[in-house]
Amino acid sequence: MDALEAALDMIWPRRLARYSGWAMIAPAILLVGILVLGLVQIAEGSLHTLDRSTFLPSEEYTLANYQTIIDSTTYWRVLWRSLLGAGLTVFFTLLLALPYSYIMVRTSSATIRKSLLVVLFLPFFIGQVVRAYGILIVLGTSGAVNDVLGLFGVEPLRLLFNFPAVVFGLVQYMLPFSVLLLAPALTAIPRETETAASSLGANWLQSFWHVVIPMAKPGLVGAGLVVGTLSLTDFAMPAMLGGGSQDFIANAIYDQFFRTADQGLGAALALLLVALGSVIAGVVIAIFGAGTLGMGGRK
Amino acid sequence: MKQGAPAETSREKSEIKRPVAVRARDLTMDFGDGAPAVDRASFDLETGRFLTILGPSGSGKTTLLRMIAGFQKPTSGEITVNGHAVDATPPHRRSVGMVFQRLALFPHMTAAENVAFPLKMRRYDPRSVPGRVRDFLDLVKLGDYGERRINELSGGQQQRVAIARALVFEPELLLLDEPLAALDRKLREEMQLEFRRIQHELGVTTINVTHDQREALVVSDDIIVMDGGRIQQHARPVELYRMPENTFVAGFLGVSTFVAGTAFPGGLKSGDLHLSGTHAGEIAEGTPVRGAIRAEQIRIVAAPDSLATCDTAFPSRILDVIFEGERLLYVAESDRLPGVAFQVYHHDTEAFDLYEIGAQVTIGWNARDMKIFKSTA
Ligand SMILES: Nc1ncnc2c1ncn2[C@@H]1O[C@H](COP(=O)(O)OP(=O)(O)O)[C@@H](O)[C@H]1O
Ligand SMILES: [Mg+2]
Repeated sequence: MDALEAALDMIWPRRLARYSGWAMIAPAILLVGILVLGLVQIAEGSLHTLDRSTFLPSEEYTLANYQTIIDSTTYWRVLWRSLLGAGLTVFFTLLLALPYSYIMVRTSSATIRKSLLVVLFLPFFIGQVVRAYGILIVLGTSGAVNDVLGLFGVEPLRLLFNFPAVVFGLVQYMLPFSVLLLAPALTAIPRETETAASSLGANWLQSFWHVVIPMAKPGLVGAGLVVGTLSLTDFAMPAMLGGGSQDFIANAIYDQFFRTADQGLGAALALLLVALGSVIAGVVIAIFGAGTLGMGGRK
Repeated sequence: MKQGAPAETSREKSEIKRPVAVRARDLTMDFGDGAPAVDRASFDLETGRFLTILGPSGSGKTTLLRMIAGFQKPTSGEITVNGHAVDATPPHRRSVGMVFQRLALFPHMTAAENVAFPLKMRRYDPRSVPGRVRDFLDLVKLGDYGERRINELSGGQQQRVAIARALVFEPELLLLDEPLAALDRKLREEMQLEFRRIQHELGVTTINVTHDQREALVVSDDIIVMDGGRIQQHARPVELYRMPENTFVAGFLGVSTFVAGTAFPGGLKSGDLHLSGTHAGEIAEGTPVRGAIRAEQIRIVAAPDSLATCDTAFPSRILDVIFEGERLLYVAESDRLPGVAFQVYHHDTEAFDLYEIGAQVTIGWNARDMKIFKSTA
């Protein structure tokens, strides 16, 4: 122990102890710093248009890229689609995650709890791309779902490459995250509180609506925020399940950077996405307080 | 079941005046992990009375209460509340108000919203709700606190909200599961008197659970003492204190000293010492017994002569003197009964600090005060 302390003293002398806190968050600051640096560069890039003759960014500063976005119906449609997709994903994910985590937390059977946990964690080991590919196979024209429908004499349906398919994929992808965020909030509600509600005359539905959901609000808001921002910025699901027809903002950015090579326009889109996400998160936190994310904020 | 059944029964109650509100017969709850949590409990509780279930932690009090509330289905046995089997209606249709061990108030509502909750769930006329809520907040002396959130109230005030919420829909039965256990002593004693006042005011049949013997004696019309899932004794407080039926009850209420020995007519024999006492029931001579004598029933004097009126008296030595504020507790031992430390209360405003550690004294008591029970072990 003494040797260890001596060694520690060499690396980090005692008199530096009051800077220990800073030393510990230094890596985080470094990471955020790199991120900010990148953002600044992107912001700078967004102020130059692409010179189509030389394929080089223009010399002078201009807001032309932003003007292009505002004037373009395509980008408005992409933006609207991303927001709607994220909103629907939040709604359906929470709708499914709430009963799932409630049963997981409340069940008296250890077997059921373990099975629910395993089912929850399995998808984590399978990447997003593989999962999207799995959905492609299952929902494809000759996939399992259409096979079953065929048994009932239904003609093969086009289940893929449309908006619902993208939302379906996103919900499927987000469910584990939201269950993991909701479970602690539900665990924090004492069972006795629900028994009390029932003794006071609430049936299970009323007790769920008037007691469980309001008391789980911090978890619901936190999960909604995480799912919402992750969906809004998602790339893989719209790309694979939308088949090019259902682009979200991230797909549009990708196209500008890697297909059209219009770095300026891509940068402008990227900044818009960052701003949009920040505003949404800011508004949600302002309304519900920082405590909603389990950070102990109290009014 | 029928809508409005609770209202009908409460009207019936006032007209016909049913003598028994709660009837339990051979209630058993076996969780299947060793001894049953509640073992063949039977009792009757009359309408309007205040019953306390008293017992140490783990004796099955909560389990018994949960079965009466209908939250727990008994392994066997039956319970009726006002003549109806408890499980004939789902929990939210029953007319039972319950105050929980950890109160279980709704933190996202104000005090008034908490009290209004059962009225909304039970579809009271919305116009009558605010007035009713106000009446019951007044009843618990929280008239001005309705708009406060639960976390803006003190422990005692939260307590009162929980009581108002459990009573506002005028249940047939009020159940209290150690709601006072977490309070400090002063507040606890204040709330005990509050429970009594409110119960007298409304006349609601009440079952209270506690491990605090003082609370049981102070608030109750009837006490059931439980241990190991079994009812040890069911009696009025005074009766229970004066005439415990077994060593557990004798030891649980008040401070008693136990002496092991064998029975003989008019007392027990321990070594060569004959101690006067009263047998609890028929006990044959020579049976192993335990005698119990309460600390306030032992007399302690310096000179043996002044205990001439006592049925039993013998010399002892003071082992310890404990100052308890309103009285002194002496611990005394006799050479003739080694290993038995007699606990003796001494309360004499004239001569408060009479004996020191090591002093030679004489202790004694009357035959009716030492209760003699058959040894169980
Ligand atoms: N749900 C349960 N499952 C298994 N055992 C239980 C359960 N509830 C209570 N018990 C057991 O029953 C016994 C009595 O518990 P309880 O009624 O809570 O006692 P008390 O309220 O007097 O402290 C204890 O041994 C406890 O461990
Ligand atoms: Mg208990």
